[in-house]
Amino acid sequence: MEYLGQLTVDSLLLGGIYTLMVSGLALSFGITRIVNFAHGEAVMLGAYGAYWATVLLKLDPLVAMPALMIVAMGVGYVLFRLCFQRILTAPPESQILLTFGLALILQNVALISWTSDQRSANPPYVLSSFDIGDAVVSVGRLIGFGTAAVLIAAMFLWLKYTESGRASRALVENRDAAGLMGINVRQMYAVVFGISTALGAATGAILCSLSAVTPFMGFNIVVKSFAIIVLGGLGNIVGSMVGAFVLAIAETSVAYYLPNGDGWAEAVAFIVLFVVLVVRPSGIFGQAVGT
Amino acid sequence: MAMRIPVITALGYAALAVVCVALVSAGFFNMPQVNDWLFRACMLIIISTSWNLMATAGLVSLGHSAFWGIGSYAAVMAANGLNLPLAGGLAAGILAGMLVGAGLALATGRLRGIFFAIATLALSEGLRVTAMMLPDVTGGAMGVYLKPALRADRPMLFVVASVTMIASVALAALLARTRFHFACRAMRNDESAAQMLGLDPLRYRIGILAVSSAMAAAAGTLSTWYGGYLDPDVGFNLHMTIESQIAPILGGMYSVVGPVIGAIIIEALSEFTRIKLGAQEGVSQLAYGFVLVLCVSFMPRGVYGAWQKLRMRWPAAAAVEAERPGEALS
Repeated sequence: MEYLGQLTVDSLLLGGIYTLMVSGLALSFGITRIVNFAHGEAVMLGAYGAYWATVLLKLDPLVAMPALMIVAMGVGYVLFRLCFQRILTAPPESQILLTFGLALILQNVALISWTSDQRSANPPYVLSSFDIGDAVVSVGRLIGFGTAAVLIAAMFLWLKYTESGRASRALVENRDAAGLMGINVRQMYAVVFGISTALGAATGAILCSLSAVTPFMGFNIVVKSFAIIVLGGLGNIVGSMVGAFVLAIAETSVAYYLPNGDGWAEAVAFIVLFVVLVVRPSGIFGQAVGT
Repeated sequence: MAMRIPVITALGYAALAVVCVALVSAGFFNMPQVNDWLFRACMLIIISTSWNLMATAGLVSLGHSAFWGIGSYAAVMAANGLNLPLAGGLAAGILAGMLVGAGLALATGRLRGIFFAIATLALSEGLRVTAMMLPDVTGGAMGVYLKPALRADRPMLFVVASVTMIASVALAALLARTRFHFACRAMRNDESAAQMLGLDPLRYRIGILAVSSAMAAAAGTLSTWYGGYLDPDVGFNLHMTIESQIAPILGGMYSVVGPVIGAIIIEALSEFTRIKLGAQEGVSQLAYGFVLVLCVSFMPRGVYGAWQKLRMRWPAAAAVEAERPGEALS
């Protein structure tokens, strides 16, 4: 077991970024039970937003992030009202296909507007690093990790202590009963979708300096996020956070210890997803979930 | 229906037969562009029929390219290794497709709805990466060429393609008249209830997945023979998956003619955008996205469903509906 220190550091940093990546999708699925295949596109548009802010306005992605999140929140809210609201009680097929179609539209609008060139914002700190013992810590990833920690802490505080957060949790327990208690179900769902989209955009702002920004980056992100969510137990937000670290450790170990590991690491998410679905569809935390 | 208006029905069958004969013989006339278009339309009709068969049983596939790709790879590898002609490759591809379909049915057991959809997505993406990472077996990112000596001549290929298409649609039409179809419909509505009624969901699931993925594998094999080249991005192509689901949704899910109508509209549309808008990347995909969103929101039964709804206003059809409820709209 060589490189154990480096492996730990890399897995932790990657896991932190994965928790942020998965948080938006886990939140919207956990509460509204709509599978949003277009979530990856929120990440993609957030990444483009941060990239253009860097290029055109000379802003650091982290500075642009709050503004992007506010815009994304509005967009998510409106999209829910226009589009998702219609399929709340529709069979899962319709939900899958509608959000898949939305993803296609957003991807190709991005492709037509900005071509398929790979782009990347390069703030000065991204390439710097420092040592802890014999492990190298990348500053860019550390900043991503820190941002993720702050945003996820904020999300949990919102869920636990605010009026709207409590209302959202009530909706998970029992949608109809919560509605009878005077909670405006659709309004709450739209707010949750807004927050979920904002978290997606924040993920994009972090990723735009760590990986390539392309119109199709969202697809891989959404599949990876599903792997994590299924791993942690569908609908269990805490489980998703743990799942993010499990996937990060698995991917990093494969990349380090297998021959050609970098290429195989790409498949880890799919293999994990398939195996978990087949062996234990309720995930690590075993919450019973219907269809 | 047959009792009521036999002349019209007989005329309909005759017209259908004429269209089939014309389609099959089209391969012998040298019309490169028409034949190319027909070939693509046939492929799309096959995979969308295959997708629709699974959807009828409540199994939404988001990874249809898995079956397509497995069939293509099995066929090319078997043909190149054993010097098999098109017929042998097709047999190998169909067999591989059936095995993967049945295997997926066994592996996913009781997974339904989103769980099944995500599993198929993971399967096709996982296979793509695997094909990429095993260059010794599959040729990896460099791809693999079909040996030139094994390639079929064009007219032959067009005939086989149209016959395969007609056979697939005929199979779907036959299945739609059997117990199998009603069992699948019951499973789509409620698998537990279907089980209570004495159906064994797993048996039907294995059957439907084997048939449907064999169809997709056959289409993949034919396409590979048409192009002569295969690599992981061609075999496990996401666009394939997308087109295979757009056509049935546009044409009308859960019906036999729906996928056919949808596939023809889609191919006509993509040809039209290609000619009018040039080869600009993304335009046709953008159109597909809008078709998906609008159909799911406003026309959940597609063109065919809308037409049937319209027909319900005609007295004759309404009479049939009154006599045997549900038949005209099933």
